[in-house]
Amino acid sequence: MKLVQIAGYLGSGKTTLILALSKKLAEEGQKVAILVNDVGEVPIDGKVMQEYGLEVKDIGGGCICCQVAGTMRKTLGLLAKNYEPDITIIEPTGIAVPNAIKEAVGPEAAKFQITFGPTIVLFDTTRAEKFLTYDPLIRLVSTQLKDADIIALNKVDAAPEDKIEYSKEFVQGINPDAKIMKLSSRTGQGFEIIVKAVRDFTA
Amino acid sequence: MKPKDANDLLAPISPLHEGINSYGLGCSVTSKKAVTAEALRKFAAELMITVIQFCVESGAKDIGHIKAFIDHDTGFLHANTVGDPADVTVEGRDGQPLYSFNLVINSVLYGLGKEAVKDITERSLKSVLAKFGMKKKPYPKQQPEMT
Repeated sequence: MKLVQIAGYLGSGKTTLILALSKKLAEEGQKVAILVNDVGEVPIDGKVMQEYGLEVKDIGGGCICCQVAGTMRKTLGLLAKNYEPDITIIEPTGIAVPNAIKEAVGPEAAKFQITFGPTIVLFDTTRAEKFLTYDPLIRLVSTQLKDADIIALNKVDAAPEDKIEYSKEFVQGINPDAKIMKLSSRTGQGFEIIVKAVRDFTA
Repeated sequence: MKPKDANDLLAPISPLHEGINSYGLGCSVTSKKAVTAEALRKFAAELMITVIQFCVESGAKDIGHIKAFIDHDTGFLHANTVGDPADVTVEGRDGQPLYSFNLVINSVLYGLGKEAVKDITERSLKSVLAKFGMKKKPYPKQQPEMT
């Protein structure tokens, strides 16, 4: 089973991107499953995705990078066994650490022939300064960015150019090896780059 | 919602999650007057704006993400905000005028305690329900499907 993570801090646009990406991949004939983890006590993102007709497994009650990692492994196993998707997109909570999720999947990887595709981390350019204001937030957001293969500077339609440039410099400083791109779910800017990255992985 | 794997009961919380607290509630909402699709969208947006307002008043350092999901017999809405009242989004499929609907709200905040997040979420809902002449009824929490 092939896994792609679309991570990023709270409100960075993960659900919107995953909805569009899943629809696109499904239109191309791929069997897509989504594993959603909400930090809140009552999951919402999964309900929204189900309303749009997508195959979704919801995990609540904590974060899959730590508190409910066991539930995630069990759910992935059930997905692989019962649904056999071409690709599974993981939407972790906005406070999850992507590499901790990879490590948590570890024991099941061989059993279900799981391979990881690119880890895509979204960065909300409209709130860039806020992430640098409070120490625990800097640590969390920086850790998420460090784990990325692709960093999407999101909401570029709503951010002024200087904030976008500032965001770019900030994320490059944290993860110089990641591919950095601009994304806007409203205008569609950058969307095809994400689609291609996932398509190349599943081909 | 309880974890479905016994190993999770012993799992520690990542130290990187420090200072971030969430609260979620689910309920049924009733109205004596028929609620149009437009009014329902206004209700959802007003709920988001009120949570933001109470968060700011309470001194939240960052509004992580406030989300709501509304469903009823003929449609659904999802609303969310990351703290800017001008950028509240309400999307979904409008339905027929209705007298009741299900509502779920999730608030995730940085810089406030769990009890404060709970208080803000509940006060916001109470305030907006009163403004729209609606009432809240208990709604059983749903468990995740594991098949």
